Amino acid sequence: MTSFLQATLYGLLQGGLLGLIAVGFSLVWGVMNIVNLAHGAFVVLGAYVGWQVNDWIGLDPFLGMFVAAAVLFGLGYALQRWLINLVVNGPVFITLLLTFGLDLMIVQAMNIAFSADYRSIPTSYAGDSLHLGGIRVPLGRLLAFGVSVVVTLALVALVNRTRTGLSIMATGMDRAAARLMGIRARHVYALTFGIAAGLAGMAGTMIGTVGTFNPAAASGYTLLSFVIAVLGGLGNMYGALIGGLVIGLVEAWAGQYLPGTWINALAFLVLVVVLIVRPSGLVGRAYYAARLEV
Amino acid sequence: MACSLALAACGSKGEAPSGGSGTGDTLAIGASLSLTGALAREGKLTQEGYQLCQDKVNAQGGVPVGGKKLKLAIEYQDDTSKPDTAAQLVDQFNDKGVKLILASYGSANTEAQAAVIERNGQVMVDSAGADNKIFSKGYKRTFAVLSPATEYASSIVKSIAELAQPKPKSVVFLSADDGFSKTVTEGGMKTAQEQGFTVMSPQYFKSGTSDVSSSLIKVKGQRPDVIIGSVHLVEGIAIVKQAKELGVVPAGGFGETVAPPTPDFAKTLGAQAENVLGSSQWTPSTKGEDKYFGNAQQYTSDIRAKFGHDAEYHDAEASAACLALTLAAESAGSTSPDKVRDALAALDTASFFGKIKFDPTGQNVYKPMSVIQIQKGKAVTVWPKDAAEASFIWPGTAS
Repeated sequence: MTSFLQATLYGLLQGGLLGLIAVGFSLVWGVMNIVNLAHGAFVVLGAYVGWQVNDWIGLDPFLGMFVAAAVLFGLGYALQRWLINLVVNGPVFITLLLTFGLDLMIVQAMNIAFSADYRSIPTSYAGDSLHLGGIRVPLGRLLAFGVSVVVTLALVALVNRTRTGLSIMATGMDRAAARLMGIRARHVYALTFGIAAGLAGMAGTMIGTVGTFNPAAASGYTLLSFVIAVLGGLGNMYGALIGGLVIGLVEAWAGQYLPGTWINALAFLVLVVVLIVRPSGLVGRAYYAARLEV
Repeated sequence: MACSLALAACGSKGEAPSGGSGTGDTLAIGASLSLTGALAREGKLTQEGYQLCQDKVNAQGGVPVGGKKLKLAIEYQDDTSKPDTAAQLVDQFNDKGVKLILASYGSANTEAQAAVIERNGQVMVDSAGADNKIFSKGYKRTFAVLSPATEYASSIVKSIAELAQPKPKSVVFLSADDGFSKTVTEGGMKTAQEQGFTVMSPQYFKSGTSDVSSSLIKVKGQRPDVIIGSVHLVEGIAIVKQAKELGVVPAGGFGETVAPPTPDFAKTLGAQAENVLGSSQWTPSTKGEDKYFGNAQQYTSDIRAKFGHDAEYHDAEASAACLALTLAAESAGSTSPDKVRDALAALDTASFFGKIKFDPTGQNVYKPMSVIQIQKGKAVTVWPKDAAEASFIWPGTAS
C-alpha cells in the first residue's frame, strides 16, 4: 500500500512537470495550427538559461526561471514575427518542416555553445523530501508541480480575463473576423508563440532543477509534448496539465504492476483509447478544425 | 527517417584523403564517429583519442611499414549516433578504398558496422563496443581493445566481495533495457551468485530515461544492501537523485558501471555522488606502457595539454584501438587488410591501456577492468588492489 501511494504521489508530481513542458506546445497548436517541432529545443534552451544565470550569479532556479521565460519569450516572439509568419498561411507541412529545421539548428547551436555534457542546476533543497507517514514528498518536484498549476491558472486567467488573451483566442477561432475587429493578427501570433516559448523556458529550468539535461534531450520533450497535447486536447488551457497528470499517473502505476519497459507502451495505449472515445482529447474543443479560413 | 537520410547525406560531404590505403606516404584510416545526436559527448571523446594517436604516431615520423614510414591520416565522418548511418559510412569508406577502420562509439553502432566490415573484407578495431553479442557471431575482422560487457558489473561485485567490511548480503540490479546493459546485468548477477550474495530479481527500465522512480519504489520494500545500476550516465544520475528523493538508502552502497567515471557524474550530483562505485575500462593508474603513448600518467597529461580536460576512459580506449591498428600494420609490414587482420589476431603487447591481446572471437579478455569510487568529488581507483590509489570506503552510504 505504501508503495502504491508513493508511486501515485510521485506520478502526480511528475505529471505536473510534464504538463508544464507541454502547455506551450498545446497553446501554439491550438491557436495557430502550428505543430512546433522546435518546442523541445526551447525547453532545453530554457534549462541552459536557468543553468547559466545560476552559474554566473548563483541565482536560484525558482527565480532563474523568470529569466529563462523572458529570454525565451523574446526569442519566440522574434522567430514567429519575422520567420514563421512568412509561411503561416502555407500548408501545415511547411511550418512542420520549418520548425524541424529550427530544432536542428537550435540543438546543434547548444551542442557547440554548451557541449553535449549533462548538466543539472544545483540547489541545496531540491533533492530533499518531506516525510508524510511512510511516503516521501520530494521538495523540488513539489515546487515544480506548484509552478505548473500556477502557470496553468495564470494562462486561463489571461485568455479569459484580459484583452490580450481574448484577442489570442479570437484569432485562434477565426483570424479573418478577428482582423475585421481590429486585432493585429501578426502581433497576436508572435505574442502567442512568445508566451509558449517562455513557458517552455520555465519548464526547462524546472527540469534542470530536479533532473538532468543536455541538447540531445530536446526531441524527447517534443514527442512528449505532442502526446500530452493530443491526450489533453487542444483549445483548452487545462488540457496540457490534465494530459500530463494522466501520463504521469499511468506511467507510475504501470511501473508498479508491469515490467518497467512496458511503461511507454501503456502510456501510448491510454492515448489510443482516449482518442477512440474522445477524438478531440480529454478536455479539448475541436473548434480549430471547424473554423473558416479566409 | 527524413532526418537520418538528410543527416547521412550531410555527413558524407567530407573531403576524401589523397589516395586509398597505403598509397603514397600515408596510411588512410576511416572512422565514423557520433559527433552529433544522442552520443555526441562520447563521440567527441572518441575522436580526441583517435586524434591524439595520430599526432603521437606522426610525431615519431609515422608507422614503419615495409621499410617506409607512413603518416597516419584518419578521416572522420559523422554518423549522427545512428547505427544504420555508421554502417553506411563503413561502406562508403570501402568504396573509396579505405580498408582499415576505427569503430564508432557504443555497442549498437559497432555491432552494425561489424557486419559490413566482415562482408567487405575490411578490418576494424573496436574502441567502445563492449556488448558480447558483437563477438558471438563468428566475425573474424573485428577486434575490441576493451573488456567485454559481462565484466562491467562483475568487477564491481568482485570488489565488494573482496573489500567490503561488513560484507553485504543482498544485491539488486537496476538495469537499462538496451542489449549492452542487459548483458552487463546478466554478467553481474552471475558473478554475484557465485560470490554468495542473495540476488533479488532485477528491475528494467527504458534505456536513456531520466525517471527510474518506479524501479526504486519497487526495490525500496526489499531493503537491498547494495544497489547496482547497469546504466549509462543519464540513468545513473537519475538513480542517485531519485533514491534521495524517495528515501531509498541501501545499507551498503551504490554501484553504477560506467556513470561514475564520467566527470559529469560528480559535477552534476555534487555531494550525493560520494562513495558511489563505478567500473572503468581504464584509469590513470593502469599499469603498462608502449612506445607511442608511454604510460598511463603520461597519457593523462598529454590529453590535458591538448584538450584541456582530464583523460576519460573513452579517450583512452579510442587511443588504444588506434594503437592496436598501428602496431598491427607495423608487424604485418603491409597495409593489406588481410595481413593486418592476421597481425591483429597475433598481437600481444603491453600499452598505456594495459595488456592488448585478442582471443579468437576478437575480444581483449586479458585486460581486467578497474573499479573506481567517487571520493571527495573525484573518481579514484580502488580495485584491483595492485592499482588502487585510495582505500575502499564502506559502507558508502554511511554519512
